[in-house]
Amino acid sequence: MISSYTLGIYPRSEELIEATRKHTSNLSNLFLKETRDYISLQKKAKLGYVCDPLLKWDDIFRPFGNLKAVKFAALNRIYEMNTFYRKLSFEDAVTGGGKIVKSNLMISLLPKNRAVCLAEPYTFADRHQSKHKRKEEFAIDLAKMLRKEALELVKAGFKLIQLIGPSIAYNINKVDLDLVKEGLKILTRDVKAKTILHFYFGDVSKKIEKLLDLPVSGLGFDTTTTPISAIKKHSFSGKSLAIGIVDSYTTKVENKQKCISEINQLVSKTRPNEAFVTTNFDLEYLPKEFAIKKILVLGEIARGAKDV
Amino acid sequence: MSKLFPTQEIGSLKKPSWLLSLVKKPGISIEEKAKTRNDAALLNIRTLEDLGLDIIYDGEVRRVEMYEEPVRYTEGFDFAGRVRSWDNKYYNKARVIGPVNYKKNFHEDEFKFVKQNAKKQIKVPVTGAYTLADWSYNEYYKSKEDLIIALAKKVLRPLIKDLVKLGAKIVQIDEPAGTSHPSEMDVFRESINESVKGVNAKIVVHACFSGNDYKVLAPQMSEIKAQQYTLEFANRDTWNLGTSNKARKGFHVLKLFKEYGYKGEIGIGVTDVHIDDIESPQLVRDRILYAAKALGDPTKIYVNPDCGLRTRARTVAFKKIKSLVQGAELARQKLK
Repeated sequence: MISSYTLGIYPRSEELIEATRKHTSNLSNLFLKETRDYISLQKKAKLGYVCDPLLKWDDIFRPFGNLKAVKFAALNRIYEMNTFYRKLSFEDAVTGGGKIVKSNLMISLLPKNRAVCLAEPYTFADRHQSKHKRKEEFAIDLAKMLRKEALELVKAGFKLIQLIGPSIAYNINKVDLDLVKEGLKILTRDVKAKTILHFYFGDVSKKIEKLLDLPVSGLGFDTTTTPISAIKKHSFSGKSLAIGIVDSYTTKVENKQKCISEINQLVSKTRPNEAFVTTNFDLEYLPKEFAIKKILVLGEIARGAKDV
Repeated sequence: MSKLFPTQEIGSLKKPSWLLSLVKKPGISIEEKAKTRNDAALLNIRTLEDLGLDIIYDGEVRRVEMYEEPVRYTEGFDFAGRVRSWDNKYYNKARVIGPVNYKKNFHEDEFKFVKQNAKKQIKVPVTGAYTLADWSYNEYYKSKEDLIIALAKKVLRPLIKDLVKLGAKIVQIDEPAGTSHPSEMDVFRESINESVKGVNAKIVVHACFSGNDYKVLAPQMSEIKAQQYTLEFANRDTWNLGTSNKARKGFHVLKLFKEYGYKGEIGIGVTDVHIDDIESPQLVRDRILYAAKALGDPTKIYVNPDCGLRTRARTVAFKKIKSLVQGAELARQKLK
C-alpha cells in the first residue's frame, strides 16, 4: 500500500448546484453536509491524506480576492479547459495573508491526516496581475504572502501541502525556473509539512531533472500529459513522487490492475523517499457521480500498490 | 452583400421570462408550448429586423443551449451531469459512449419558421464538431481527433446539407472551443473542411477569443473552407474614440490575418457581450473604420457583437444592437 490523496476542488451535487443558483435557505446546511460526505468518502477509500473538498470555492484563487488591494477582474479560461476563473488584480502591493485559506476551510471536519492545496507563486503570478509590479517581483511578493498561509496551515495541523504548478507545466518551454525556485524557497522556508509540487496541463518530461532541484519535498505529475515512461528515466532519491494516474478529465474509470502495475514499476525504477498516488488535478471537471468512482478507485489503486 | 458593413447578430439572445414560465407551467399542452415558442421566435425576428440588422436569426430561442441541444439529438452521447463553466454556471456535459450518428435535422422546425417569417437575410448557427468533441468526455473513440472527424462527417455534414436543402444560404458553424487548444489547430481545420464538404452555401465560422488573440487561427484561415469568420475583438479593445493603434488595440490581429494572406470576410465583434455598458455609435464607427483599414478592404468587413448576447438582459442586448447598427451607418457615411 502507498499513500494517496486528491487535488483541488470537488464537484457540487446537482442539488447543491441548484441551491447555489437559487440561494435556497438550506444552502449552508447543504455545503456542510456535502463536505462531510466527501470527507467520509475519502476516509472510506482509505486515502492517505484527506482534503476539504472546497465546495464553496468558485475557483482555486478566489479566496485571495479578500486580500487588501485586490479587485476582481475579467473571467479567464483555465488554460485550455472549458472552465473559467476570475482574474485578481492587485492594485497595490501584496499585503496580508496568513489566514485566507484557513478561514475558507472546514478544518474541524478533517481528520489528523489532512492535506491542503495552494497555488505556487509562479503560477499565481502567471494567472493574475499586479498593477505596479513586474511579474518577477509580483511572484516573489506572492511567495512571501503564501508562506504566511503555509505556516498558518501547518499550525492548523496540515501535514501535507500540495503546491499546484500548472503554469510551470503549461509554459514549460519558456518558464524561468530560477524564479520558480526562488519563489518556492521563500514559500517553503520553515514550513514543517511535506510540500509536493504538482505539474499538470503540460508535459514536463524534458525538464524533470531540473525540476528535481526545486526546494520542495516532492514532485507530482499528471501522467496523461507527462508520461510514466518519461518519469521512469529519473532517480527520485531524496524526493517524494506523487503519481497523478487517476484522470479527473475522463468519466472512464481507470483499470485498477493496470495502474497498480505501472505504479509498481515506476516506484521500483525511480526509488523515491515516499510515493503517493493521486488524481491528476481537480475532480470538479467531472460530475459528482463520476468523481465518487474516481475517489474509490484511487483508494483501491493505492492499497494495491507496493510501498517504497 | 452590396451594402458596405452589413450588420448581423451571432446567435443567442436571453430567452424572454414569459417564455420560460409558460413552457414550464404544469399541464401545458404540446400545442401551447409550440405556439409559445413560435411567439418568442417571431418576437426576436421582428425585434432584430426592426433594430436594423441586415442578417438575422431567431436568437436561438428554441434551443436549450448550444451544446446540449445538438447532443440531445445525436446518437452516441449520454449525458453525464453538470460541470462548472464558472462560479455557479454549469453545463450539462455528455459522454461519447458509442459511434456518433446523425438522427434527424434537429433545427428543421426552427429553420422553417425563421425562413417563413423573416424579411431579412438569415444565417443559421450550428454548433461545430470540434466544440462538441472538446466539451464531451470521449469513452468510445481511440482519440479526440477520431471523434472530431466522425462528428464532422457523420453529424455536421448531413445537418448542414439538410439545412441547405431547406433553403439555408448562410450557415454559421459555432466553434467557441475552436482556438482553445493551439496544438490541435490542424484537426480543427480538418473538422470544418469535412463538415462542409459538398455543401453549397456561404460558410461562416464563429470562434471565441481563447487567450491567444487568434494568433493560432491566422495561419489556418485561408486553408479552412469558410467565406467569413465572426470573431471577438471588442472585449479587449479600449473605449476611447479614434482609429489610432493605441485606441484600437483589440483589433491589431486583423493585420496578422492579412499578413497570412487571408482574403475572405471578417465579421468584427464591436460589442462586448460580457458587460452591460453600451458602446456608443461613434465607438462602433471607429472600430469599423480601423478594421477596414487594417484588413485593407472595407467590403470584407461585416459588423456583429463579439458573441451571442444571451448573457445580457434583453433590454441591454437590444441597446447594444441598436448602437451597432447606428455605428455601422456612421462608418458608411464616413467612407462615402
